[in-house]
Amino acid sequence: MTTPPRSGPHKALLAFYALFTLAAGARAVVQLITQYDEAPVAYWLSLAAAVTYALGWYAIREASAGNTGFASVMLWIELAGVLTVGTLSLVRSDWFPDASVWSDFGIGYGFVPLALPIAGLVWLRHEKRR
Amino acid sequence: MPSLSTQVTWIVVGYAVLVAVLAVVAAVRGHERPSWLDQMVWMLEVLLVVRALIGLGAFSGDDKPASTSTYVGYLVASVCVLPIAMRSIEGDRAVWSSVVVAVVAVAVGVIAVRLEMTA
Repeated sequence: MTTPPRSGPHKALLAFYALFTLAAGARAVVQLITQYDEAPVAYWLSLAAAVTYALGWYAIREASAGNTGFASVMLWIELAGVLTVGTLSLVRSDWFPDASVWSDFGIGYGFVPLALPIAGLVWLRHEKRR
Repeated sequence: MPSLSTQVTWIVVGYAVLVAVLAVVAAVRGHERPSWLDQMVWMLEVLLVVRALIGLGAFSGDDKPASTSTYVGYLVASVCVLPIAMRSIEGDRAVWSSVVVAVVAVAVGVIAVRLEMTA
């Protein structure tokens, strides 16, 4: 595995994305296996969030090496995901008997899931100008 | 009096917060990541290993964790996160590497709290 040679804000973003891939992924897998019937929609959405973070991690790593194309798409998908699931969890709370990672815009994770794609997009903007 | 594992958890959380604060200070000052910060991270790792070993003892007692898979997940994550993070900033002593230390220090602090909640 090659690591991007230079330092910068993307190192912190990569740490966040790796941590959230782990957190969301482990949570989704455990809940899907042990309590599937309680809130399947919420748990599948948690797994989708985990996959998004894994792809986001890869996208940022690529962008830090100069290939910004995938990140330009992926970070917007992630932001749309957080906003959609966050809004649905508020207006259709009956679909969410148990919380998902992006429920209430990631309140269970201190709203970091909402801040992360925004921070990523701001970084990407600077990256493209370089 | 709280159990040994609870006491060690709060030492871990307090120390993790200290590491995070000092990492932010180091980053704000704009210098390279100081070597004492690395030493503090490894000290935090030692504390996490001690907490994990005590945590493993929970399985032999009568007071077993409510959700074994969740508990084991947090236990494993608590000891793996710092070495992986330090590997990711190996050879990079620039300012942003201190921010990475701050992020992961907060993360292991949160993991330690969650571990205590699921114990």
